[in-house]
Amino acid sequence: MIQINGLTKIYKLNAKKMQELKTKENKKVAVNNVSLEARPGEIFGLLGPNGAGKTTTLRCVATLLKPTKGSVSVCGFDTQKEGQKVRDSIAFLTNEIKLDPNFSADYMFKFFGRLHGMSEEQIVARQEELFGVFGINDFKNKKIEELSTGMKQKAAIAVSLVHDPKVVIFDEPTSGLDIVTARSVTDYLKHLRDMGKTVIVSTHIMSEAEKLSDRIGVIIAGQKVEEGTLAEILQRNEAVDLEDAFFKLYSKYNPEKK
Amino acid sequence: MNGMSIIIKKELKRVFGDKKLVFSMFILPAIIMIALYGIMGFMIGKMNSDIEENVNKVYVVNSDDRMKNAITASGFDKTNDITYLNEADFRAKEQDIRDEVLNGDAQLVVYMDKDFNQKFTSYTDSSSPVPQIKLSYNTTENYSQNTYGMFATGVLEIYRTGLLQERVGSLDVLNVFDLEDDIIEKEEKANSRFISMMLPYMIVIMLFAGAMSVGVDAMAGEKERGTLASMLLSPVNRTAIAGGKIIAMMILSGLSAIVYVVSMMIAMPVMSAMGGGESEMAGGFGGLSLSLVEGLQLAAIMLALVFLFVAVISFMAIRAKDTKAASSLISPIYIVVMVAGMLTMFMSGKEVPITRYFIPVYGNAVAIKDICNGELVTSNFLASLAGTVIIAILLTIGIAKAFDDEKVMFNA
Repeated sequence: MIQINGLTKIYKLNAKKMQELKTKENKKVAVNNVSLEARPGEIFGLLGPNGAGKTTTLRCVATLLKPTKGSVSVCGFDTQKEGQKVRDSIAFLTNEIKLDPNFSADYMFKFFGRLHGMSEEQIVARQEELFGVFGINDFKNKKIEELSTGMKQKAAIAVSLVHDPKVVIFDEPTSGLDIVTARSVTDYLKHLRDMGKTVIVSTHIMSEAEKLSDRIGVIIAGQKVEEGTLAEILQRNEAVDLEDAFFKLYSKYNPEKK
Repeated sequence: MNGMSIIIKKELKRVFGDKKLVFSMFILPAIIMIALYGIMGFMIGKMNSDIEENVNKVYVVNSDDRMKNAITASGFDKTNDITYLNEADFRAKEQDIRDEVLNGDAQLVVYMDKDFNQKFTSYTDSSSPVPQIKLSYNTTENYSQNTYGMFATGVLEIYRTGLLQERVGSLDVLNVFDLEDDIIEKEEKANSRFISMMLPYMIVIMLFAGAMSVGVDAMAGEKERGTLASMLLSPVNRTAIAGGKIIAMMILSGLSAIVYVVSMMIAMPVMSAMGGGESEMAGGFGGLSLSLVEGLQLAAIMLALVFLFVAVISFMAIRAKDTKAASSLISPIYIVVMVAGMLTMFMSGKEVPITRYFIPVYGNAVAIKDICNGELVTSNFLASLAGTVIIAILLTIGIAKAFDDEKVMFNA
């Protein structure tokens, strides 16, 4: 279970960043008063354009960033006060966080298993299961740097799940993957949901969000502008599909169009 | 603690699991150092034998028989091609001869006053004119410089002695006292004079270079690649992650420094064996003998220095955006460290006050110098350790805080 209450994240900008962003403001509101809930046994899809605040929100959940205002709890643990317990309860995957390219998938899996306090037997059993599911055994001893994008992503997913976490947070997990690999990833996310895990997936691929998500939240310009099941969102926005609904929301809330 | 040891093992495996990295970090520097010193020795030896074997062209102008006898008596004519000229011939060719010296075709011109003999024999008191010998040579040419040295110290001494004897009869009347040198010094200090001058500087820069080679990539490199963030997502305390990385870097840079020092110990005798001569430098570490306590003191100081350098480099590298920025930040510190090490080379024998031993790097370099000279007292040893370790601990706390700082870790 993930509970986000009134999450606000404001970045302070130095002169260089202000120049880059062409702004006179010395701060940027990345996430503005967002509240949402992801429950066990469901996949929560987080939608939004680039720079909307999806990754910042997920990083706050993963304890990598501290909220400026509001609170986030994971499995009942406060992210600011009980960071270590939160990190032990989650799998977090994002394109910017990578496995060390100098090691093999096999070593990385065991390394993170040990960091999570697992015994060697537990690690081996878990490795057999996950490497089997993602077909990693054939290249498990190759260095990460020698693997293709798809192989790297599979290895990263397997490593992130080593400790069998209750909560899975994947930021654009199928980005850059071929259709076959992307399918195996989404299938496994459904499997995790069926096992009662709480899954949050951020994406900007509408078709993927439609097929995968039990409930969907839409973030635009740092604000949550919609939350509900696909049917609820389509009804409220008088849309024929999620893409249609998204563009209606985007034209309504995009600050550049206001 | 368990998390820390897992991270230490991983960091060590990153290096020792990669044959290329092991070769470039530990084996290649040793090979290069030994080869470099060997080549240096060979080149010095070759240069020396070339100078000795070269037949130098020497012009002697207005020579008398006494000068010719002195040249023969000193053996100078055996290794040099001597041309005797009179005043008229010399004046006719003077510019050509000077050009020969300038171009390295001739090595020395000995010009004696044309009325040398007359001035010598007519000498009565200090108001009488004194004859002159002018030596023209080229200081930018080794052969010329060497020929000048041989002539001035060999031939001219014999010539001068002969003339003096002729003037005063017996040379004994010129001897007004005998000089005896009574050298009072500590044997170990005398034996290790060169090494005590060089070792502090060498240890300081080698430890820093070792720490820099692993520290920049382990911090800024991992941050740049996004692999550090993956560790921050683990339930291990971030202080333990920082500590694990620092300890692993200390082990690696310490090993790297040991490789450098051992290589140098091997390289210096190699330089001597290759013809570099029996100089103090070529003698290398031969003059250094340490007691067990001094050995342990040296090890403790090196360990403290490694701790400080790893902490400084990590502190800067973790704040840098990427490895390039980290290297730019660290380069000025490298210069400061080099200067601090170098300062001990130019120290007089004056006692250093204990407060200076507290200055990191400089205090350690002075303490290492004292160890080589067998002069390090316990209070100074402890002061040099305390200053360094306290700064290193403060920096380590700063690094641990940086691991928890989203602005540093994620440029947030």
